[in-house]
Amino acid sequence: METYQLRDVTFTYPKRNHRALSNINLTIRQGDFVVLCGASGSGKTTLLRLLKPAVAPHGTLTGNILFERAPLDDMPLRDVASKIGFVAQSPDDQIVTDKVWHELAFGLESLGVPSTDIRLRVAEMANFFGIQSLFRRDVATLSGGQKQLLALASVCVMQPSVLILDEPTAQLDPIAAGDFITALSKMNRETGMTIVLTEHRLEEVLPLAAQVLVLDAGRIIASGSPREAVMGLREVESTFFCAMPTPAHIWAAVDSCGCECPLTLREGINWLAVQRISPQQSQAINSSAQIQSSKYSFALTLKDIWFKYEKNAPDVLKGVSFTARHSEITAILGGNGAGKSTLLSVATGLIKPQRGKVSATHAVRLLTQNPQALFLRNTVADDLREITSDANELARTIGLCELEAVLESHPYDLSGGEQQRAALAKILLTQPKILLLDEPTKGVDAHYKQSFIKILRRLASEGMTIVIVSHDIEFCAECADNCALLFDGDVVAQSNTRAFFAGNRFYTTAANRMARGILPAAITADDIIEALHEV
Amino acid sequence: MFILHPVMLVISFVCAGVYAFLLRGVRVLMRGLVLLLPMMLVAAAMNPLFNHRGVTILTYLPNGNPVTLEAVLYGLAVAGMLATVITWFVAVNAVMTADKIVFLFGRFWPALSLLLSMSLRFVPRMIRQGRVIVVAQKGLGRKPNALKVISILMTWALENSIETANSMTARGYGLRRRTAFHLYKFHRRDVFALGWMITMALVVGVGVALGVNRYRFFPSVQFHALSGASVIVFVSYFALGAVPIILRAKEVLVWKRINSAM
Repeated sequence: METYQLRDVTFTYPKRNHRALSNINLTIRQGDFVVLCGASGSGKTTLLRLLKPAVAPHGTLTGNILFERAPLDDMPLRDVASKIGFVAQSPDDQIVTDKVWHELAFGLESLGVPSTDIRLRVAEMANFFGIQSLFRRDVATLSGGQKQLLALASVCVMQPSVLILDEPTAQLDPIAAGDFITALSKMNRETGMTIVLTEHRLEEVLPLAAQVLVLDAGRIIASGSPREAVMGLREVESTFFCAMPTPAHIWAAVDSCGCECPLTLREGINWLAVQRISPQQSQAINSSAQIQSSKYSFALTLKDIWFKYEKNAPDVLKGVSFTARHSEITAILGGNGAGKSTLLSVATGLIKPQRGKVSATHAVRLLTQNPQALFLRNTVADDLREITSDANELARTIGLCELEAVLESHPYDLSGGEQQRAALAKILLTQPKILLLDEPTKGVDAHYKQSFIKILRRLASEGMTIVIVSHDIEFCAECADNCALLFDGDVVAQSNTRAFFAGNRFYTTAANRMARGILPAAITADDIIEALHEV
Repeated sequence: MFILHPVMLVISFVCAGVYAFLLRGVRVLMRGLVLLLPMMLVAAAMNPLFNHRGVTILTYLPNGNPVTLEAVLYGLAVAGMLATVITWFVAVNAVMTADKIVFLFGRFWPALSLLLSMSLRFVPRMIRQGRVIVVAQKGLGRKPNALKVISILMTWALENSIETANSMTARGYGLRRRTAFHLYKFHRRDVFALGWMITMALVVGVGVALGVNRYRFFPSVQFHALSGASVIVFVSYFALGAVPIILRAKEVLVWKRINSAM
């Protein structure tokens, strides 16, 4: 049975000339796991939200959307609420009540289900997702990942036949994102629930998908099984490849022998094993790991920092020493609760450490995690003018951060990547010499990540010292000169990026894990592609 | 609680005090008493200064108004009542958490309980986000001023509430016949406790209405003579006030017995 059938669906937002979606035809069968992907602004969110009338955008829609063979428009509101579940991106904003149990019951309360039935359905859902220990907790005490699982569970209690998810893992750290995807796939496998999601972290989701749809400028440019979609994408030579899983990305760039496209790391390793790589090439990459710049000076030095938030609280930083060199990008990696954000606050001078010394050659500026905490005006242009009125400086920064197209938009209407760049522009206008960034890739898609890397590299080459704190291993590998690993309140390793990742076995990039046997020092997809091209 | 009969006051005050002690410990109770006693004294002293009814004149104030024994006693009784009410509230505060209040109101008005629940989440969230904004502004190298922070906070709250509203509609908020889920069950022992409390309250109420323990402070202090009926009222009043103590004490004892047996 088909869950959705879309016939010639075209959608235009009010007061816009171009179509957000044009001539979409697709069929989603009961029990399918469908991944919708595409760059920001490709129309994937629009398409996704049209599938659930309660959250559908306003605008002109032509064509037909059928849900279980009946027009979606004719569906009673009660069925829309119960049969089509919707999970949004932000864990905090979509949770309504203050207690976990109340949140789980919310949807069933709306449907008027009696208390005794709610009790049972809430209980089975809490068990299914393993969140029964959180049942009586305050929502405020949950982590981001737990909140998102709660959001998922509180939709699933209504026993929908299809789940619609709009970038559900964008705000989560990689571990929590993995847990969420696992829960989703369990739901799909064990209950046959149809799942449709948009996602920009494809590495884990793609191998699970039954159907992949790639959108570009409101059209479907590739579709089918993950392998078919990747092949199709290669045919149309889309730039969207940078978002694909590393093995597929490398395959698309070099494969000429007609091998099947590898999707998972295991397939990637097997595929790479049969490729020919010249010995000189592997030598070249290996030796670059040994290069250490001999002449450098430090812009920011933290020495033996001890810090705790309260007198009787445990220490968050336990004798951390850390240095950032002039005009270089240094990345600090580490899991949740390792003390990364605290370290940044200490380095900025926002909090004073109980012991230890912070010395910086210039004033230190910090770009915090949530760019929305910076925006003050109704348009991006006004918001930037609030910092300085120097027209030259403004023009230069706007150009650097590629904000020309969004100057007149409200900062909240921008995509995650655009918001991040607008916030960066704002802080650049304060003329920092030392810039700290807290999780700059949170909620940012692959394409914007690339442009963000370019901007940061350019700033560093112009003499700015940059320190990034991040979960995002791939981003740090491509962007940073040096990497440090923060664990349990202390820096356990700091070295140049290639040596850092090539030396790690598990805490390393997908490309490094894939090529470890052949090119031990390759840490990015580009490294491997280069090595393969040389042959 | 609001009866000024001295025996009833003492019963109620003792019950409240013992219960508060069981719940909060001797320290909180002592701290409470240190605050209560002066307050009681002040209340007792103030009354005769402004209330001049009563026939037993003790002395005269400089302005010529009499200080009467009845007014002094009445002041003491009111002070005792105040202390009792406050002590009960000390106990109530420990027992009644927000979700119980939400539940109680939810029975009569489901929308209100949801509103309370949402506010309980919203207010702390605003405060946390306010702190985030302050840090973000400091990171930018500025002194955050209150007006700016509030302005950013308002935009943030409004923008993100759209998403919350979406999430509510997506889960069918606004459909007819909404129910209010809760975690509380009405057990057999709740029936007993409730029955007991209603019976005792009825006995006291009927007794008071019939005037078996009538009292008056003005013009002269008079109490109804002690009779079988008035004793029954006093005992019932105690049996009502002691319910929480008995429940709590039993719990503590059972806990101790089981643990010491292990």
